[in-house]
Amino acid sequence: MKTPRRNILAILDNAVRWTGIPARVADDMSGAPDRKHRPLRWIPIWMIAFSCTLFILSLAWPPALDMVAITVSFMGSIAAIAPGIHICGPLGKSSLEDDEREAALRKDSFLFCFGLLTLLNCVGQLLLMSLSHLQNWQTAQSVFVAASAFMLNLTLFGCLPTLYASWNMPQLPKE
Amino acid sequence: MSLYNRISVFRAEQGISRRQLADAVGVNHQTIGYLERGDYKPSLELALKIARHFGVAVEMLFSFERFEPIAMTFKRAGEDE
Repeated sequence: MKTPRRNILAILDNAVRWTGIPARVADDMSGAPDRKHRPLRWIPIWMIAFSCTLFILSLAWPPALDMVAITVSFMGSIAAIAPGIHICGPLGKSSLEDDEREAALRKDSFLFCFGLLTLLNCVGQLLLMSLSHLQNWQTAQSVFVAASAFMLNLTLFGCLPTLYASWNMPQLPKE
Repeated sequence: MSLYNRISVFRAEQGISRRQLADAVGVNHQTIGYLERGDYKPSLELALKIARHFGVAVEMLFSFERFEPIAMTFKRAGEDE
């Protein structure tokens, strides 16, 4: 009997399964009770520091093609990692399963995040507009700064609620 | 204002774990842990559910003043008798 040839789609399917992501998603969808949503106190800080550094670099350095490429690659990695941080963190489970403490923590975390983002964006917009006028930025630099600012917003939106919730969950002693 | 509680005392007396109490009152077991530590103030509904589970009045479990040590309570009860 002739064994069927594996076509490209089957190979791609296997490659995706090999990453472990489909199993992880199935685990999430099943709502397994033993799934851990542990506090992540440091990883979000690293991500935010990463984005802040890139944003500062975009302000300090003149735009260059290689920096744009680096920015785009960082955006890709952050877009991939931020949801993972959110899912693994304390706010990762479905809000329908929250008890009253978790619901209050989720509300506080997102309120803190949106409040801070609103403030940063209001102040940041004015500062950037002034800076672009004073330093007479070219289009390329404006685009570079805008891309970095967008990435910083994306990172803060993805990581700040998890960071806030994690630091508001002190470790409990074992029974 | 601080809210003190004796959930851990009642839980130890009845020999139930945080998880068992949490399942009985419909919350996450971590919530019971934070309640016992005083890191979280419960809603009236949750406080009443916990009190009902232990079969005591809510004032026996929660108070704005520090609870006296159990030894003192027993001593006072002995003196009354």
